[in-house]
Amino acid sequence: MTVVVEGLTKRYGAKVAVGNLSFEVNPGVVTGFLGPNGSGKSTTMRCMIGLDRPNSGRATFQGKAYSALARPLHEVGVLLDAGYVHPGRSGRNHLRWLAASNGIPMKRADEALGLVGLDSVGGKNLRTYSLGMKQRLGLAGVLLGDPHTIILDEPANGLDPEGIRWIRDVLVHQAGLGKTVLVSSHLLSEMAQMATALVVIGKGQLIEQSTVAAFVARHGDRWVRVASPRVATLVEVLRASGTRVEYVDDSTITVHGTTAAEVGDAAARYNVALHELTTVTGSLEDAFLEATASVQEYQGGAR
Amino acid sequence: MISTLRSEWIKLRTIRMNWVLVAIALAFPLIVSALFVAFSEAGSFDGADIFRLLSFTAVVTTMLLGVVGATTITGEFGFNTIRPTFAATPKRLRVILAKMLVVIVVGIVTMTLVVVAGLGLCTAIASARDVEVDLGAVEALVPACVGLVAFGTILTVFGLALGSILRSTPVAVAALILWPLLVESIVSVILSAVGIDNASRWMPYGAGTQLWSLESPDAMSGVTEGLGRVGGGLYFGGVVMALLLVGSVFVSRRDA
Repeated sequence: MTVVVEGLTKRYGAKVAVGNLSFEVNPGVVTGFLGPNGSGKSTTMRCMIGLDRPNSGRATFQGKAYSALARPLHEVGVLLDAGYVHPGRSGRNHLRWLAASNGIPMKRADEALGLVGLDSVGGKNLRTYSLGMKQRLGLAGVLLGDPHTIILDEPANGLDPEGIRWIRDVLVHQAGLGKTVLVSSHLLSEMAQMATALVVIGKGQLIEQSTVAAFVARHGDRWVRVASPRVATLVEVLRASGTRVEYVDDSTITVHGTTAAEVGDAAARYNVALHELTTVTGSLEDAFLEATASVQEYQGGAR
Repeated sequence: MISTLRSEWIKLRTIRMNWVLVAIALAFPLIVSALFVAFSEAGSFDGADIFRLLSFTAVVTTMLLGVVGATTITGEFGFNTIRPTFAATPKRLRVILAKMLVVIVVGIVTMTLVVVAGLGLCTAIASARDVEVDLGAVEALVPACVGLVAFGTILTVFGLALGSILRSTPVAVAALILWPLLVESIVSVILSAVGIDNASRWMPYGAGTQLWSLESPDAMSGVTEGLGRVGGGLYFGGVVMALLLVGSVFVSRRDA
């Protein structure tokens, strides 16, 4: 199921939270939804499922507005905030009312609790749950109706490293089943391991929609790491040709603005033995910071 | 709609505070009425007195039912569960309608228990004391009992209506209590001061209380030309439904 967002605009008074935003989310891969704090990610997600009324534009799920879905939990599983629970209700009963609202059998609530590893604490009040447990419960709610589209806002918040890996595996698995998965996260290293496609926004506007690889290639830095017992000779040669070279230590350098092949050829010409010749690609985080540098809503000062 | 009803029923019954409120709502009039019958001097009261005491103490019941009605929706806004609720059921009017039906059932069951158990308990205690209480001789007892059940049920929906408009539990509960205690009195006085006679007859809560009156409207103190049992009940119920309609429009149009 393809999710299409077309010309979505949401204003709060004079402030434009989301402005004419359009993108598509396709099935079969995890799509990361990235943007700096205050860029409109959560607002976009709320508008997509009709919780907030957009001023213009729309979101459709295989051509249908969310409000037109008769039993939405069977089609779209959404987790916007794990804290949207009543603290006096048990986890099991939280899932039961959700299940009942969409005609899902009650036993599915217990199955979903088991899926997220909460079956032993399903009867406990939610005020006793940690944030990580609430995230797991939220994901159980998402999986209740076995939907073909999954939308999650910062699902890794509050999870420990094991939990983060677990949620990554779950989402990659769900995408592998052909489902459409849109997930926002500020953990860019996690996103780099999980997502194949990206939607990047800033100040409510689309910055880029592409694959992670293309995004990093376009915005991330790339350099060659070289280690040699005669690295000084190589530095002299490369600098003579106008190449930027930086020392890492006495025997290791990074070379910018050229390729590993060119560095290797230069080393061969001057009989310089190489112990390492590696092309290094910048991280998604580097690429993200580069791409969103001009649209950061809140920035810290220099330390 | 059945799914939404089931969901709302699960929500209501899985919050302990709702059970506590209903338990207090049930117990208070029963205990006060039972103590009155148990310890009052024999012959100093009759069936009508018992019903009047039961109905006056049941005002507490109706208020607590109003609180249950209000928190049914204000609790959702307070804990933000309104978002998963509307994500699961995007048709918001359906959610409000389901909440209304659920609290109506709670109102009817609770008020019926208060009336039946209250009269039964008081009669049994009187009988144990060899005091004769003939409820059958009380004029208009049955319509007044039905009216009391209806009054409590309307109050439950009144709470839901205020909650859907005001969204906040403390504000909605304050409005629920102050409306009959203060607002209607002040408005009546102001209207009388500007020359509008019998303004109190148009005060919704006051009109609603005629539902459980044993007296004819003309005999009621301060209500010389009341709307009557049916008229007063319909008027109060109509105002409450209008408020709920306003609340439903607010809930539907505002961001969740």
